[in-house]
Amino acid sequence: MNKHIIYFPKDGKPAVINNEWQIWDGECDEGGIPDLEHGLHKVLVPFHWWITHCKNADIIQRANQGDIGVWFAADDDILKHADIIEQGKKLWPVVGAHFPIFRDGRSFSTAALLRDRFEWQGEVRAIGDVLIDQLLQGARVGFDAFELRPDQNLDIGLKQFDLFSVTTQNSWRDTRSSQAAI
Amino acid sequence: MYKYDHIDQTLVDQRVIQFRDQVERRLNGTLAEEEFRPLRLQNGLYHQRHAYMLRVAIPYGLLSAKQLRTLAFIADKYDRGYGHFTTRQNIQFNWIELEQTPDILAELAKVEMHAIQTSGNCIRNITSDAFAGVAADEYIDPRPVCELLRQWSTLHPEFAHLPRKFKFAINGAKEDRTVLLCHDVGIELKKNPNNNGELIADIYAGGGMGRTPILGSLIKQGLPWQVLPSYLTALLRVYNRFGRRDNLYKARIKILVKALGPEEFARQVEGEWVHLHNEVKQSKNNFTKSEWERVAKHFTKPAYQQLNAISDETILAAATEAERNAFARWLKRNVKSHQVPGYASVILSLKPHGTVAPGDATSAQMNAIADLADQYSFGELRVTHEQNLVLADVKQSKLFELWQAAKQQHVALPNIGLLTDIIACPGGDFCSLANAKSLPIAKAIQERFDDLDYLFDLGDISLNISGCINSCGHHHLGNIGVLGVDKDGEEWYQITLGGEQGNDASIGKVIGPSFYANEIADVMTSLINTYIEQRTSNESFIETYRRLGVAPFKEAAYKNALNKNDKHSEESKKGAIA
Repeated sequence: MNKHIIYFPKDGKPAVINNEWQIWDGECDEGGIPDLEHGLHKVLVPFHWWITHCKNADIIQRANQGDIGVWFAADDDILKHADIIEQGKKLWPVVGAHFPIFRDGRSFSTAALLRDRFEWQGEVRAIGDVLIDQLLQGARVGFDAFELRPDQNLDIGLKQFDLFSVTTQNSWRDTRSSQAAI
Repeated sequence: MYKYDHIDQTLVDQRVIQFRDQVERRLNGTLAEEEFRPLRLQNGLYHQRHAYMLRVAIPYGLLSAKQLRTLAFIADKYDRGYGHFTTRQNIQFNWIELEQTPDILAELAKVEMHAIQTSGNCIRNITSDAFAGVAADEYIDPRPVCELLRQWSTLHPEFAHLPRKFKFAINGAKEDRTVLLCHDVGIELKKNPNNNGELIADIYAGGGMGRTPILGSLIKQGLPWQVLPSYLTALLRVYNRFGRRDNLYKARIKILVKALGPEEFARQVEGEWVHLHNEVKQSKNNFTKSEWERVAKHFTKPAYQQLNAISDETILAAATEAERNAFARWLKRNVKSHQVPGYASVILSLKPHGTVAPGDATSAQMNAIADLADQYSFGELRVTHEQNLVLADVKQSKLFELWQAAKQQHVALPNIGLLTDIIACPGGDFCSLANAKSLPIAKAIQERFDDLDYLFDLGDISLNISGCINSCGHHHLGNIGVLGVDKDGEEWYQITLGGEQGNDASIGKVIGPSFYANEIADVMTSLINTYIEQRTSNESFIETYRRLGVAPFKEAAYKNALNKNDKHSEESKKGAIA
C-alpha cells in the first residue's frame, strides 16, 4: 500500500498526507480480516464482504473503534443496498470507490451518489488504478482522498487541482462559474 | 452567434495549458500511450493511418468568418492546406503532428474554438439544424439550448469516462434535418400550447448506426427546458453505471435501451431523476432564467432589413440569357427559403464531381468563403451534416452576385440533394479503422453521373458511403448506401437501399452479396435505371423503392455481378471499432 495519499477536503487545499488505511481485497478470506501491515489498524473491506460479515461481533467491535471502512467495486450497485449504507454512515470513517482501470468511470457516479443521495460527509477515497490525469474529475464529483497508483508522481498530482479556475457545470465540489457569484 | 465571456475563454485557455503538459509528459516518457490516449482523444487528436488527425469542434455547426480564417491558417501552417467537414458538423485536419497540437489548440482558443470532447468516451459535439434560426419551418431556435447543453457537458466530471461516446442532436423545426433518431439522445424542442408557448423538450434515447442501427425511442415528453440538466444527468448516470463495459461493440447506450426496453430504461432514468429534482428539492443543476439570458442574448436576429420578397422571375432576370439556365438550377437546388421576406439561405456545395473528396475545402476556399460570409451573410456560416456549408442570411437581391463569386471558388455546383451530393467518410485512404476506401468510390460515381440534366431529372436521392461498419458516412440513412467490407483482404462493398433521414427516417437494408470496387459505378447505373423505368410521375427514388420493394433493384444490380452467391449477404459487422 502507498505510504502517502492526496487528501483534498471540500473546503480546503490538497496536500500529501500519511496513509492510515490499508485496503483488503477480500481474497484469502478465512473468515476474518487478515492481519494488517505493521503499525496499522485501519482497513477498508470490500462492500460485498461487509454485507455478509457485518453482524460478526469482532467486526462490530473494530468498527465501533472507527477502524473499518468499506470500498465499493466499480460494479457494486450502492443503491440496491441503501439501508446498509445508511447504517454504515455511522460506522465508516472512510469509504473507497475502486477504479479497476483508470478509464472506467463508474466510480465517478458512485462518488457522486454517495455525496448527493446519501449525503456522505465522511471521506470518500479513490483507490485502484488512480492516475494523475483523472484527479480533477474525481475531486469534483465527490472524492476528497486519492490513493494513487504507486508509479504516479504525487507532486504533479497536486498541481492538477489548480488547472481550472472555472467550471461550467455543478458538481459536489463546485457551483458552475456563471452562477457562483449569485 | 455565441460569444465567449471570461469564463468560457478561461476554460479553453486553461485546457491548452493542461494538454500542453500532458503532451510533454507523453513525449518525455512519463505518460504511457495507453494512458495518454483518452486525454488526446478528448482533445480531438485521433491516430489515423498516416498521421494524427485533429477534429476541431464546430458547436452545432455554427462558425464565424473569423473562425473560418483561423481554420484556413491552421490548414496551411500545420497541415496540407485543406480541411474536411464531417457528418457531425465538425472539421478534421488529417496530417497533424503531436508536438504541434498544443500550439494549434492555442490558435483555436484565440478565436473561441477548441477540440474538447470531439473524440473519446464522453459527451461529443452537440449537433443541430444547419438552418437554425432561419428556416421557414422552424418552431423554435434550438441554438440557445444547444449552447447551454454544450457548456453543461464540457468537462463534465462524472461523465468523463463513459462506456462509449455519447452524441446529442437537437431539433426545433417541423422537418428533422438533424438525424435526430440516430443519436444516443435526440432532443426535440417545441412550444407548449398549454403554457404560454414555453419551451419544452421531448427526449429520444437509444438511436444509433454502426453494427446495430436503430432509431431512438421516445422516453420523455414535455420536459420544461429548465430541467434538462437534471434530467440528462439522471439519464447519463444510468448509462454510466449500467452501460456495458465488457464488450466495446456493445457499449453504446442503444444496447442498454434495447436490452432493458425503452419503458424500463425510461423508468430507471425517472427513478434517478426524482431524487435530483422533485417538488421538495429543486435541482441546482437546472437552468435559470439568467443563464438563459446570458446565452440567448447572442442568438437574437441579425440586423435584417425590411425587404419585400422577390419573385423567382425577378431573381432570374439578373442573369444574362446565356447564364440563366445555370443560375436557375443553382436557385432550385442550392437556395432555400428563409423566415424573413427578401432573404434566402444558400448552400455552398463541397461536392464537385470527381475532383476532391466530399466535404473537403482548401485553405484558399475557406478564406474566400469567409469573405463571402462577411459580405453576404453577417459574417457567419454553418456546416451541414451532409458536409456542405451554408450562408444562412443572404439577400435575395444578392443571389446572382453570390452565385458568380461561388462559382469562382468551385462551390456552386447545383447538386445539393442530388445523387452526387454524396456523404462519404474519409475511408481507407486515411482511417485505420476502415475496411475499404470510400473516396475512390465517391469519385467513380460522381464521374459516372457527371451530367446535370440527368441528375436533375433523377431528383432527390441520397447516396452515403462508409468505409466500414462504424458508419461515419451514415450509409444506413442513405436512399442508397455503400458499405466497405473486408472480404479476404480485398476491397468489396455492400449496397443498402431504402434508408432515409428526417421525420420519416428509415434504416437501409443490405440487398445481397458484396460487389467489387470496380463494379460499383455499374451497380449504381443499374439501380438508377430501375428507378427511371419503374417510377410513376413525380415519384422520388425513395418513394419508388418503398412502393416496389427491393426485388427489381436487386435483380438489376446482380445481373452481371461477379459475386452472386457469396456468403457476404448479411450486413457486415466486421471491422475495428471507432
